[in-house]
Amino acid sequence: MDQLRKRAARKPAPEADTAASSGPNGRHSICMVSDFFYPNMGGVESHIYQLSQCLIEKGHKVVIATHAYGERKGVRYLTNGLKVYYLPLQVMYNQSTATTCFHSLPLLRCVFVREGITVVHAHSSFSAMAHDALFHAKTMGLNTVFTDHSLFGFADMSSVLTNKLLTVSLCDTNHIVCVSYTSKENTVLRATLNPEIVSVIPNAVDPTDFTPDPSQRQGDRITIVVISRLVYRKGIDLLGGIIPELCLKHPDLHFLIGGEGPKRIVLEEVREKYQLHDRVRLLGALEHRDVRGVLVQGHIFLNTSLTEAFCMAIVEGASCGLQVVSTRVGGIPEVLPEDLISLCEPNVRSLCAGLESVIAGLRSGAYPSPTAIHARVRHLYTWRNVAERTEKVYDRVAGEEVLPLDRRLLRLREHCGPVAGSIFAFLAVVNFLFLLLLQWLFPDQVMDMAVDASGPRGLWGPPKRDTMSAEEAAAPATKAE
Amino acid sequence: MGPDSAPGPAAPWRKVLWERQSFPDNYVDERFLGELRRNDGVRQYRYWAVVKEAGVVGQQLSCVAIFIALWLYMEQGLLSPEALLWTSLTVGLLGYALYAALRPRLGSNGEPRTPLADLQTAAIFLSFTFGFSPVLKTLTESVSTDTVYAMSALMLLAHLVSFPYAHPSPTGSLSLNAALFASVCLASRLPGALHTFAMLSCALLMFALWPCLLQSIRDNAPGPSAWLCAGVCLGGVGGLGSRWPGGAALLALALLSVTLLCPLLLVKLQRHKDNIQGPWDEAEIHEDLCHIPY
Repeated sequence: MDQLRKRAARKPAPEADTAASSGPNGRHSICMVSDFFYPNMGGVESHIYQLSQCLIEKGHKVVIATHAYGERKGVRYLTNGLKVYYLPLQVMYNQSTATTCFHSLPLLRCVFVREGITVVHAHSSFSAMAHDALFHAKTMGLNTVFTDHSLFGFADMSSVLTNKLLTVSLCDTNHIVCVSYTSKENTVLRATLNPEIVSVIPNAVDPTDFTPDPSQRQGDRITIVVISRLVYRKGIDLLGGIIPELCLKHPDLHFLIGGEGPKRIVLEEVREKYQLHDRVRLLGALEHRDVRGVLVQGHIFLNTSLTEAFCMAIVEGASCGLQVVSTRVGGIPEVLPEDLISLCEPNVRSLCAGLESVIAGLRSGAYPSPTAIHARVRHLYTWRNVAERTEKVYDRVAGEEVLPLDRRLLRLREHCGPVAGSIFAFLAVVNFLFLLLLQWLFPDQVMDMAVDASGPRGLWGPPKRDTMSAEEAAAPATKAE
Repeated sequence: MGPDSAPGPAAPWRKVLWERQSFPDNYVDERFLGELRRNDGVRQYRYWAVVKEAGVVGQQLSCVAIFIALWLYMEQGLLSPEALLWTSLTVGLLGYALYAALRPRLGSNGEPRTPLADLQTAAIFLSFTFGFSPVLKTLTESVSTDTVYAMSALMLLAHLVSFPYAHPSPTGSLSLNAALFASVCLASRLPGALHTFAMLSCALLMFALWPCLLQSIRDNAPGPSAWLCAGVCLGGVGGLGSRWPGGAALLALALLSVTLLCPLLLVKLQRHKDNIQGPWDEAEIHEDLCHIPY
């Protein structure tokens, strides 16, 4: 048994050598795992993509594993040879796969071994596949990082259950990344973590995608832009209360609303009831590339979310030079300096008052020009900075040891309570035995190693980017064989 | 941490993301979790206040027991339908007088219903019930008695589960319908059509009208209403006990645990309550957004 465990602990034998040889220049082989990736659209998806691109640019090897989306299955390559595995796993609910703890092990092991992965980075607590991957990675003796993108409450039954699962999933994860300080507090409480192993690394926006263009604004009116999914959590009911009240007071006020969702009916009702068809335009779902074109038409960006971990939308709005009005919830107060955002309480009266004062400020010309706002915002959040800080997390994690099975079981028992701890300790043992079976059926040694196609040292040649450093280009290609 | 705008190490940590601070990303400030609130707005319960509220549950349980006891008396021929009808009528009139006496003190502007309208409704209900009672009597003849009993038990249970104990008036539609379904089932097993009619009028009185009267007594005189609940409970145990002592013992046990033991548990478990609130909570919309001023 002891021998077997040792074998499992040093299991990724082929890439352990390459990792050691590439150790001095600190190159990591990272596998990002999440249920949410393109073609699905959203904050998590673009976070994974942008972070991966910047890490590739810094010379790391990155692959992404997600589940198959309809016809999109198998291996795909994105820009700079970023490899994406669309694994054929059954989707259960809301694009999240079923979590059985075991069925994804053969496929994920295959990915981890073939790609010579050293760090598994899972994203989003809604993603069952991310939790599965963490579970398997620990069994395989790989270092693990988890990024939490959302906030949860503590009061209802579903959050009690999901928080327990998160506790189990994160209790032996090496490091956790949160997108804001509020999100860190939330995650530390939910998963009863040591706050020292939780880093705060905010999201970012690509400032070149969101540049202002005041010529697109119409001079005879003031336009309020709202871009969000039209769901309850985004406070669309509040928006439905704000629209008639402000439209009545300001005849030159127009609303431009982008996004789709079940609460669209609320806005349509309001528009119908108050005869505002020419002043409230519902644009429906927007492609990401069209967002900027809508933003630059507006003067004010309004966000009515009821809960938000970071809120990239307000940064995008500010980057396009708009005055931002938002509810004071979650991590939003941390995101922008006070003079770029008006924070209101999440009710109609406070939001109306906040919007009124911004409208008055716009009429009197009290605000700086869109270009000046953009110049301030463009340096606040960049993906390169995110990648730099995430790299530090990987460096730290690479030096940590992965708990061997016996200590992992003890940790599960003492950290997750006697009942859940015992159940998951049992599952961990079964998972370990399953891994041994797989290793016996398909030994690591006979598995083909994947060709590294990504980044400057990839087989597809260096990417055409001026930021590539000479040192990176000079480094020898490490192709595992 | 960025090269630009790096403040000196003396600069205190701020809970902002837009500023590159000289602290590591996993820095934990002493203000960490400073906005955490525990047990915000939690109500402290006092034992006897909870017992008083639980009395409503107990008396509803007893109402069902009284109804079953009356049905047992009728079925075994110990109670004539005429006697039950006259008693029901007297009790109904007394209750109506009490209800009418309490109503003005509720402060409703203008009388929404005149006694004439009430009389009209009562007449319609009674005449229809009377007219249909032969039909109802034979309604379940083709159904086996066991099925009828099982169905009644199930429906009375549904009545108890779905009864709106917080605001018994108006009676919830599910609970009222379940109770009436059960009474039709039971009444159809009685010997004659007049029996059925008497039983159904009695059911209307107990399941439709009594909760309204109790609610109005509770609103106006909280003290006596607690004693009233206790009286109904005693009546239920006594009534059932005269025909079925075992059932009465069970009922007494249930009443004791509902009105005395459960409140004790609730009060005792209060100190284990640990609600966590903080800035991460989803904001709640408190306004009524249907009434936008225009």
